[in-house]
Amino acid sequence: MASRKEGTGSAAPSSSSTTGAAGKGKGKGGSGDSAVKQVQIDGLVVLKIIKHYQEEGQGTEVVQGVLLGLVVEDRLEITNCFPFPQHTEDDADFDEVQYQMEMMRSLRHVNIDHLHVGWYQSTYYGSFVTRALLDSQFSYQHAIEESVVLIYDPIKTAQGSLSLKAYRLTPKLMEVCKEKDFSPEALKKGNITFEHMFEEVPIVIKNSHLINVLMWELEKKSAVADKHELLSLASSNHLGKTLQLLMDRVDEMSQDIVKYNTYMRNTSKQQQQKHQYQQRRQQENMQRQSRGEPPLPEEDLSKLFKPHQPPARMDSLLIAGQINTYCQNIKEFTAQNLGKLFMAQALQEYNS
Amino acid sequence: MSRFFTTGSDSESESSLSGEELVTKPVGGNYGKQPLLLSEDEEDTKRVVRSAKDKRFEELTNLIRTIRNAMKIRDVTKCLEEFELLGKAYGKAKSIVDKEGVPRFYIRILADLEDYLNELWEDKEGKKKMNKNNAKALSTLRQKIRKYNRDFESHITNYKQNPEQSADEDAEKNEEDSEGSSDEDEDDEGVSATAFLKKKSDAPSGESRKYLKKLEDEDEDSEDSEDDEDWDTGSTSSDSDSEEEEGKQTVLASRFLKKAPTTEEDKKAAEKKREDKAKKKHDRKSKRLDEEEEDNEGGEWERVRGGVPLVKKPKMFAKGTEITHAVVIKKLNEILQARGKKGTDRAAQIELLQLLVQIASENNLGEGVIVKIKFNIIASLYDYNPNLATYMKPEMWQKCLDCINELMDILFANPNIFVGENILEESENLHNADQPLRVRGCILTLVERMDEEFTKIMQNTDPHSQEYVEHLKDEAQVCTIIERVQRYLEEKGTTDEICRVYLRRILHTYYKFDYKAHQRQLTPPEGSSKSEQDQAENEGEDSAVLMERLCKYIYAKDRTDRIRTCAILCHIYHHALHSRWYQARDLMLMSHLQDNIQHADPPVQILYNRTMVQLGICAFRQGLTKDAHNALLDIQSSGRAKELLGQGLLLRSLQERNQEQEKVERRRQVPFHLHINLELLECVYLVSAMLLEIPYMAAHESDARRRMISKQFHHQLRVGERQPLLGPPESMREHVVAASKAMKMGDWKTCHSFIINEKMNGKVWDLFPEADKVRTMLVRKIQEESLRTYLFTYSSVYDSISMETLSDMFELDLPTVHSIISKMIINEELMASLDQPTQTVVMHRTEPTAQQNLALQLAEKLGSLVENNERVFDHKQGTYGGYFRDQKDGYRKNEGYMRRGGYRQQQSQTAY
Repeated sequence: MASRKEGTGSAAPSSSSTTGAAGKGKGKGGSGDSAVKQVQIDGLVVLKIIKHYQEEGQGTEVVQGVLLGLVVEDRLEITNCFPFPQHTEDDADFDEVQYQMEMMRSLRHVNIDHLHVGWYQSTYYGSFVTRALLDSQFSYQHAIEESVVLIYDPIKTAQGSLSLKAYRLTPKLMEVCKEKDFSPEALKKGNITFEHMFEEVPIVIKNSHLINVLMWELEKKSAVADKHELLSLASSNHLGKTLQLLMDRVDEMSQDIVKYNTYMRNTSKQQQQKHQYQQRRQQENMQRQSRGEPPLPEEDLSKLFKPHQPPARMDSLLIAGQINTYCQNIKEFTAQNLGKLFMAQALQEYNS
Repeated sequence: MSRFFTTGSDSESESSLSGEELVTKPVGGNYGKQPLLLSEDEEDTKRVVRSAKDKRFEELTNLIRTIRNAMKIRDVTKCLEEFELLGKAYGKAKSIVDKEGVPRFYIRILADLEDYLNELWEDKEGKKKMNKNNAKALSTLRQKIRKYNRDFESHITNYKQNPEQSADEDAEKNEEDSEGSSDEDEDDEGVSATAFLKKKSDAPSGESRKYLKKLEDEDEDSEDSEDDEDWDTGSTSSDSDSEEEEGKQTVLASRFLKKAPTTEEDKKAAEKKREDKAKKKHDRKSKRLDEEEEDNEGGEWERVRGGVPLVKKPKMFAKGTEITHAVVIKKLNEILQARGKKGTDRAAQIELLQLLVQIASENNLGEGVIVKIKFNIIASLYDYNPNLATYMKPEMWQKCLDCINELMDILFANPNIFVGENILEESENLHNADQPLRVRGCILTLVERMDEEFTKIMQNTDPHSQEYVEHLKDEAQVCTIIERVQRYLEEKGTTDEICRVYLRRILHTYYKFDYKAHQRQLTPPEGSSKSEQDQAENEGEDSAVLMERLCKYIYAKDRTDRIRTCAILCHIYHHALHSRWYQARDLMLMSHLQDNIQHADPPVQILYNRTMVQLGICAFRQGLTKDAHNALLDIQSSGRAKELLGQGLLLRSLQERNQEQEKVERRRQVPFHLHINLELLECVYLVSAMLLEIPYMAAHESDARRRMISKQFHHQLRVGERQPLLGPPESMREHVVAASKAMKMGDWKTCHSFIINEKMNGKVWDLFPEADKVRTMLVRKIQEESLRTYLFTYSSVYDSISMETLSDMFELDLPTVHSIISKMIINEELMASLDQPTQTVVMHRTEPTAQQNLALQLAEKLGSLVENNERVFDHKQGTYGGYFRDQKDGYRKNEGYMRRGGYRQQQSQTAY
């Protein structure tokens, strides 16, 4: 493991340092629609993220870190990363920004890419579509146009297939977030639905040739891999957990809808009152006119009827997005499992 | 100044001197400004209206006295305080001082204080020993006085250089000090107090006399002159000791005090009486002095404050007065008038009343009077503590008990005495033997009050001390008294009163387990021991019978709701205590107390809680877990069982209530010997919860809408789970949690060993009267419930299971197993059928799996989501707000409908 890391460590910067300036320029130039079309991740980064989770994350706890790299044309190359330190209560005054700057400076000294290109986060059964993620990704993307967030799913990975996904906020969502207006109207104007909140960027994992050679060699040497997580037929646990989470979200969604419903009712009621009031006013004015008196002065209606605060819709959007993710997860999982089951059945028949 | 000291100190005894010093010096002292005075002392003792000067100076002298006392006990902090006050008082007296010159005593205290402080300052050893406050006060005071004394420097030096002027008194002082007694101070006190009182009391009496009987003015004058004569004789006999002198002074005082009540008596009689009095006083005084000499300075303070002597004096009969009813009653009324007034010495009042009883009985005044006085004695005993929270001292309590007993004796011996609260003072007949005697007063109230006092004593005694046991022994006495009153009232009282006394009796009976009756029940009535039994029965009726009788009377006759409620609750409690579950339960249900108990006052509610708890424990003993759980649920779920049962205050809520509330609550506490063991209570609750909850949990493991039967039990389980390291259980709770875990696995043997073992026996089970019976019941319950749990938990892994195996596993006989399984099948708890020929249970395996369950729940949730969504969509009909939602709604709706369709399909073919 150590040898592999070193390999990438030395290989990546040497290749990137030459193209760095050009790539950057291009990245800036092409920021019109979407800055990044593809994410290329170094093997080192993947291993570091996995290691980070294994060492510090457990259960529902989430680990996070910073991605370093640079943009080459419409491709984002992530060549290194480092973790955020775990937060504890007693070092509340810990300055994260300071730490990051320090870290990047240090990395620069050893000639590693020091450009901030995003961040990564582990997830628990795919529940990552949250407000916190949205906010921080927004601030990242606001500051660094090309930044992505890498979502690492340790549970899926443990089942045998590495699950690593890169997400970016869509330009539409960026605009909405910039205005910080999550009212129903604003979202409608922005034409945002939960499907158009995040865009997934395809990922390519790339290793230097040296590493590939080493891998081949290692594969030959190593004994038969006796881990067949991929073939595990057990499904209940994973499915159950996901279902549970899904149910929780559905509950939240329900509540949200109820809230919205009340708001709508209140608004319409108020609207009615307003209407009545106006009519009455009009009638009175008519009467006054007929009597030759001056009409009543116009009053500020918005003062009389303070409009209700519309509930922020962002949360419900996020929940919907989350539900969507869960559903996809389940779909994927069940599809795979069904395949496995058929395989197992065939195997049985063959044996007997 | 010099005049006074030189003459006074030379001729007079120490005590009188000091008396003058403190009281009279201001008057007679300074530079002879009042040359008209014949004798300073006398002038002072006379009740002239005090001038501003007197007042100021007295203030000063009082302060000085306090300082001197503080000096003696080395209380520098006190000194400092007083010194500051003194400075202020001096400031107030400034105008007078300007006129009169700085009073000598003031200079003296300043000089003395400075010396004293310097001495203390030098005394390094002593300083080290001083506590922090004192040390601090010392340095402050030293600085202050140094500064202060600068103004009086000339006076002080003058004073210090004048040894001959103060030599005598100094010598005296030293003498006293060396004698180690505080004669001086005491005398000061005595004299000044009397003098002071005299002034106080004389003024109004004198005035009233003036207003009322102008004619007597002359008399008064003459009396005064007599006084003077008296005085002269006293003072001329130069050796007259302090006591005599004091006696005289008190004579003076007493005379004037006397005046009020005995104005009619002629002067001679008064004269004579005065002499008698003087003697008496004299004796008393000396006695008191003796007492005082025993304790030190501390004691004297009380006397100054309480205006004792004032009350005491008018109460004695003159020698020779014929003691008749009228006189005695009059005395009695006099004494009683002082009752409840501030400054009345209640102890003395009681003593006086007792004396009065003695006098009355000595003179054969008849029982009526004695009863009347006795009533009053008891009342004043109760009055002794002005504060509701404080309780009687043991000796008082004993006195009270004796008194009530005596009273009862008299009442029983003289059936012709009528006692009642409704007899008016005027219509009392205390001595007319022809008619029945009528006395105002209520024995029942006294007894009730006594009972309350008893409760208070018990509340305020540390329940783990020997003292408590001692006090508890009095309970028997209280019971006897109540019984006697009961007997008395059964003859004479009204139904109301009988109800009340019955309730008292019930309250003293209901919580006691009747071991005798229990014993009798255990030994079945066989012919052989018949005679013995009869004997036993003759000893006293079963408490059950007694309760029955008393309660029934109350149910029938009582008109106040409260007594009946209490009686019912006590009755239920008693039933429950003696394991008569069905009677207890029926009574509880019939009384409908559960519906309206929340309107009752707190003590009744506490009683209700106690009853419910007892009921629950009773149900548990009978093996009725569910009833037990239900009965205990309310009390236990709040987590405030201690508070609800009135067995202690919770610390948590201490901040929420203020001092006042806390006092009230403290008064509501149930005495320790009535307590219900809280650990037993909790254990019973937890075990019943375990027996209910574990099978239920096993049955509804995957049901999302599963409700907890007992939150508290779950809480305990969670606490158990949170333990990082599980050792063998220690506390009762840990035992139950461990047992629950074992039961979850259907392991009844482990469960059994956790619930019933040495530790638990000692902690809980042995507290039951029929411990063994309870234990057998418990084992059986554990076996049954474990079997059920086992079937719920593991039915999915069995295709079929033989009932014999089950019966072996759980050590239950086959029919029981059969019946349990049949019940489960009928209740659709177990999807199985019984195969009779092979005696096996065949599982049907139709339970949905966990995923299926989840899917069902999800479907349900989605259904409601869609419904909500549709409601939002409905609003679109209106023109407001819904524009943006159009698209989304449409989308969602479609999805929702699809899902709902799916859900319906699922419903119809659940088994997919």
